[in-house]
Amino acid sequence: MKSTLLKMSHICKSYPGVKAVNDVSIDLFAGEILGIMGENGAGKSTLIKLLAGAEKKDSGEIYIDEKKVDINSPKTSQENGVSVIYQELITMDTLSVAENIFVGQLPVNKVTKLIDWKAAQKKSTEVLALLNSNIKPKSIVATLSVYEKQIVEIAKAIHKNAKVVVMDEPTAALSEKDSKSLFKVIENLKNQGVGIIYISHRIEEVFKISDRITVMRDGKLIATKQTKDVEKKEIISMMIGRELNQFFPEIKSEKKGVMMKVSDLNINGIIENISFEVKKGEILGIFGLVGSGCLNIARALIGVDDIDQGEIHINGKKTSIKNPKNALKNNIGFIPIDRKNEGLTLNFSVKQNLTLQSIDELGSSFIIQESIENSIAEKWVKKLDIKTPNIEVEVKTLSGGNQQKIVLGKTLEINPEILVIVEPTRGIDVGAKMDIYKMLENLCKEGVAIILVSTDVPEILSISNRVLVVSNGKIRKEFKKGEANQQELLYEASLN
Amino acid sequence: MKIIGNKITTNMSLFAFLGFLIIVFSFTSEHFLGIYNITSLLTNISYSGIAAIVLTLVIISRGLDISIGGVIGLTTVVIATLYSQSDPLPVWLILIIGLSTGALVGLLNGWCITVLNMDPIITTLGAMAITRGLAYVISDSQSILMFEDTTDFISNGTILFIPIPIILFLITALIFSIILHKSKFGRAVYAIGANETSASLSGISVKKVKMILYVLSGLAASISGIILVGQTSVGMPQHGIGTELEVITAVLLGGTALSGGKGTIYGTIAGVLILGVLFNGLTISGVRYVHLQIFQGILLLAAVATYEIKTRNEVAT
Repeated sequence: MKSTLLKMSHICKSYPGVKAVNDVSIDLFAGEILGIMGENGAGKSTLIKLLAGAEKKDSGEIYIDEKKVDINSPKTSQENGVSVIYQELITMDTLSVAENIFVGQLPVNKVTKLIDWKAAQKKSTEVLALLNSNIKPKSIVATLSVYEKQIVEIAKAIHKNAKVVVMDEPTAALSEKDSKSLFKVIENLKNQGVGIIYISHRIEEVFKISDRITVMRDGKLIATKQTKDVEKKEIISMMIGRELNQFFPEIKSEKKGVMMKVSDLNINGIIENISFEVKKGEILGIFGLVGSGCLNIARALIGVDDIDQGEIHINGKKTSIKNPKNALKNNIGFIPIDRKNEGLTLNFSVKQNLTLQSIDELGSSFIIQESIENSIAEKWVKKLDIKTPNIEVEVKTLSGGNQQKIVLGKTLEINPEILVIVEPTRGIDVGAKMDIYKMLENLCKEGVAIILVSTDVPEILSISNRVLVVSNGKIRKEFKKGEANQQELLYEASLN
Repeated sequence: MKIIGNKITTNMSLFAFLGFLIIVFSFTSEHFLGIYNITSLLTNISYSGIAAIVLTLVIISRGLDISIGGVIGLTTVVIATLYSQSDPLPVWLILIIGLSTGALVGLLNGWCITVLNMDPIITTLGAMAITRGLAYVISDSQSILMFEDTTDFISNGTILFIPIPIILFLITALIFSIILHKSKFGRAVYAIGANETSASLSGISVKKVKMILYVLSGLAASISGIILVGQTSVGMPQHGIGTELEVITAVLLGGTALSGGKGTIYGTIAGVLILGVLFNGLTISGVRYVHLQIFQGILLLAAVATYEIKTRNEVAT
């Protein structure tokens, strides 16, 4: 029996309104790869943040080498031999590879106390050689590829003698070839006795490299299984574990015809030949894992990402969407992915947020007519049942669900014919979710075409009329409503 | 009602501080509350106050303009040089050219900041050096006398016993408080400063709004320059040195946040008055100018420190 390297025991962490991690216990042996799987919002990232000291746990204990440790900051976490490689790499891009690897601990000349660059480069080369990499220690990190940057981060971890290395979605932005190289590096680390926690949506790769798999769902630990004893389907069922929402009926729209037609949309290196149509009163789901490019499709439709090639027709007319203002003018409303930074202006009041996209409608002169503004705000507060003391409070004081309703109301005020919504119900309570679904249902009846980009599997399956599955920037498959179950959808999306 | 509550308390405490200063100085100098001193105080603050009002909008949009002093100097030199020609242009045209000087500098500032995406501090710092340098070159480092009726009237004339600079200041304050607090443009300014991404996603033309703000800021500096020519009867490259510091101090003192999205015209008026009263009161109480600068620096730091401490407490609660 190998020795237990890391033990996290009965860990809990709550944020206002959600138990992000609820009584989770995991352990990790030396020379082992533990895969952690779960849908978005399952609590994987929070668990890792607690281990990394980026967030403080509410309760529970962490043991390293069977000794209880007190991790309360990134520094204490690193001192205890934990190294986390986040999906968003945190390399210092303007510095050299050697400076990144030895950050804060560059070797110094004994006499002059100045940095000994020769020694730094020699040591960097040694560490990089362990990883079969020939990156030059002198290279500036900004010039490296994503894969090479990952190698630099791993080298940094090795240099610090990390015992536990955590990788969060490391292959999300990697090509197949680079992913394979990375797996070799990970195997290598494993053989040196490092314990690795590997977080990924990609079930194939987790099965390929992990020794055991832990599944989390809704903040709870569902099970930990030996990889060799378990089927992929079993793991996917454990990840989902929720029934489809039955309340969303098939919508029959009175209006007919194609609302929007997208042909051969390309963003170099990100999305490739994306073509689809959305009919009036239809909800078209676009599903893909992190880094698949489906977010970029949505961003291109609302004029945030520039397209390199392709055409968009609205109501049969060719339209170019250069910026969000353009999109709104063409009656494309949207809910951006990041409610707090993109959807809302947090220190604006409820009414100021609700009228921001339709500011030109607030009176005929350049002065804002408060009576119009108030009536617009009151209308949406009532229509969407937004729970707020009044329309003057800052939106940052409201709950996530009510904030999201404001993002929706804000864009509905422009009377959109097309609605592009990204993760419309992420992190909000069930009641608010239902209200938003009900609103979408009404919009479909009125003939609005809805494009839903979501990584919430039950949601996208139950409310879309059709679902396009995107991976690696391409549309892989189209499912009509009822054609696919949750396992099949996830499986298709995880193919590369 | 939280926003409104905060607004009132911030401005109230500023005006309370102003009252406190007035009481103190009325004891330290018997002339302080004299009608002559009050008029001269208000006339003096009007000149930088106009620039401060407009700069408030720039800072709320999360920008900054430190070329104000340079533009003032350049404007005075441009006007006086044109007037001192043997066959000068009509005065109205000279004044329009003077105003265009500021507008043009503002346009270039705005272009660098929005199109080239340059940092506002660096951009306007460069513009400050260029405008000041140009003023020295055009004037050949000389003071250029300008005894002229229109500029004299703008700076020293009165309407109903009220000096015209004060009237100009009040009109500017009124116009911009309507623009900032009541208009669609003002709402866009706040939205950009509070969260530029969300503003852009809400269909606001972020670049256009910023461009307009920098042009207005340059224009306001030129108006200050015209007033200064009239007051001193001379155009010279040293005019307006240090005015940017005074103006920025007044705006920040008035509760406008350097981090954008927050601030009011009323606050800036209070800031301008506090600074004016403090300078005037200390001067007539016998404090020398070199010492005043130290006070101004302390005030600027105190204004920013107060804001930082306040925000930290807000976050903590």
